[in-house]
Amino acid sequence: MRLRINPLLAKEFHQRMRTARAPIVITSYLCGMSILTFFLLYENVQGQLYLVQPTKSQQVFVLLSLLQMTVVAFLAPAFAAGSVSGERERKTLAVLLTTPVSPIGILLGKVLSSSALLVLLVVVTLPVYSLVFLFGGAVPQEVVSVLAFQLLTIVVISTICVLFSTIALRSTWSTVFSYGTVGLMMVVFGALGYGLKGLYEQNPIDLFTLSWSHFFYALNPLYVEAALEGAVSAEPSIWVTFVEFYAVAIVILLVPSLWRLRPQWFSWLPFWSRSTEKQYQ
Amino acid sequence: MILTQNLCKRYGRMAAVQDMNLSIAPGTVFGLVGENGAGKTTALSMLATLSTPTSGRAYIQGFEVTREPRAVRRCIGYMPDAFGVYDDLTVMEYLRFFADCYRVDRRLVKARADDLLERVRLADKRDTYVNALSRGMQQRLEIARCLMHDPAVLILDEPSSGLDPKSRLEMRTVLHGLRDMGKTVLISTHILNELAEVADEVGILRRGELVAVAAVQVMVQHSSAYRTIRIDGRFAPGELERVLAADRHVVDVHAADAGWNVLYAGTLAQQADLLTTLVQHGMAITQFSEQPTDIEQLFLRLSAIQEGM
Repeated sequence: MRLRINPLLAKEFHQRMRTARAPIVITSYLCGMSILTFFLLYENVQGQLYLVQPTKSQQVFVLLSLLQMTVVAFLAPAFAAGSVSGERERKTLAVLLTTPVSPIGILLGKVLSSSALLVLLVVVTLPVYSLVFLFGGAVPQEVVSVLAFQLLTIVVISTICVLFSTIALRSTWSTVFSYGTVGLMMVVFGALGYGLKGLYEQNPIDLFTLSWSHFFYALNPLYVEAALEGAVSAEPSIWVTFVEFYAVAIVILLVPSLWRLRPQWFSWLPFWSRSTEKQYQ
Repeated sequence: MILTQNLCKRYGRMAAVQDMNLSIAPGTVFGLVGENGAGKTTALSMLATLSTPTSGRAYIQGFEVTREPRAVRRCIGYMPDAFGVYDDLTVMEYLRFFADCYRVDRRLVKARADDLLERVRLADKRDTYVNALSRGMQQRLEIARCLMHDPAVLILDEPSSGLDPKSRLEMRTVLHGLRDMGKTVLISTHILNELAEVADEVGILRRGELVAVAAVQVMVQHSSAYRTIRIDGRFAPGELERVLAADRHVVDVHAADAGWNVLYAGTLAQQADLLTTLVQHGMAITQFSEQPTDIEQLFLRLSAIQEGM
């Protein structure tokens, strides 16, 4: 049997990549990152006796990767938040649901297509990161793990946004929920972790507060990335908590999403009634 | 082949479709006629596996829609009433996308798309962006899209709605072509005359109930044998009804908008006689005119005929 690419993914690639917008976005982003990297490296070596300063170079690497994480995290909803609700608003969803493409296939195609450009943005910055190698401070494994974590975060955020887009019915609400979630991940969880850590430092015997602080830190992509880079002290398995938490969140959001797309799948539930079934297409 | 057995769809207390029993033989073009809100779209969406029947069964090509929805989806082409298109694809890309959704053999896609575009008269638009097509062209493209995986059954919900007369005519030609392809087609519409040249059979849906099924020619004959006359004027109470009751060609009389709608089965000459009679009885007639036939009236006529038999 011939392997076939998800039709939605192929279609959206086609639609997105043939316009001038995609190369312009990628080129602009790459230029911006390159200029910033050059500036930071130049600042580091200026007035110094030695060109190679691993500690400062490490700081450049951390700063760049955190900046990139912030940018892609806040860009992800722009691509994903209107994916399914947009189909509904364009009135193309009903037809799609009468094809053999399953609701899971539709969601998968939407997640992959909406995260594709962001993945490309991250991948094209690899040569920029490699500049940091020239000055020492970061080892290839570190760069690979940071990159892998960034890709994972893109997929996680895109998935959550696509699911909100399925649940919320309207793109406006979906965008609100998506940016709210990104704000929660990037700002609120970090602030909670920081606040609880502060409380623990005032009362060092309160280990309960410390464990919650670690938990909230583990949900913050910036903190986990910094931990992978060794910029903050954290357990090496901090990313596992991140993966577990968001996997559970995605599974929880997946249920109402599938309900929206194919309510018939829930006919086995005792409270499900055919007379209250609505069409959300 | 489409078969429904006591098909029902309820939304709370409201019955959108009630006990629909329908049997459409392979290769038949069946028109489902009804006013807006009669339950046409609900019935079609159940057959297209988009909603679940509250009770009853529906089979398409022998597959039950709730138990074997995947198999049903493979053998139907569904065009919804309100549909959208992917604007930023060309016509060919649009068809190719849906062919991929149905996993049509890639070697067949181009030839099939070319053939279908020829049939729907869009062969010269294959590289045109979908958003550059007129509404009528987009609706014909939807028909081609429905046929891309060569389904045995087509379910078309108001395929001519929102079209200008020229586009309606073109759509009628396209629908006519479907009959030649040997497809089983279920078309919903609220305009009976639209089906006269296209459909083999017609079913009338009224408040969710399938009240009549007949060959399209029989329906059209009934439709033309009866006419609705609008009478306005000043009459003594009960006088008009008394005079009308005496005319054996009057089938039904009902008050509407400060006047009367009369269902009349006579000829034009007999109609003129009726007007004379009314005037002779001293009635001040301000309007005596024939009104366009609507589905509700057709239903009343058929009911009257059935009751008289």
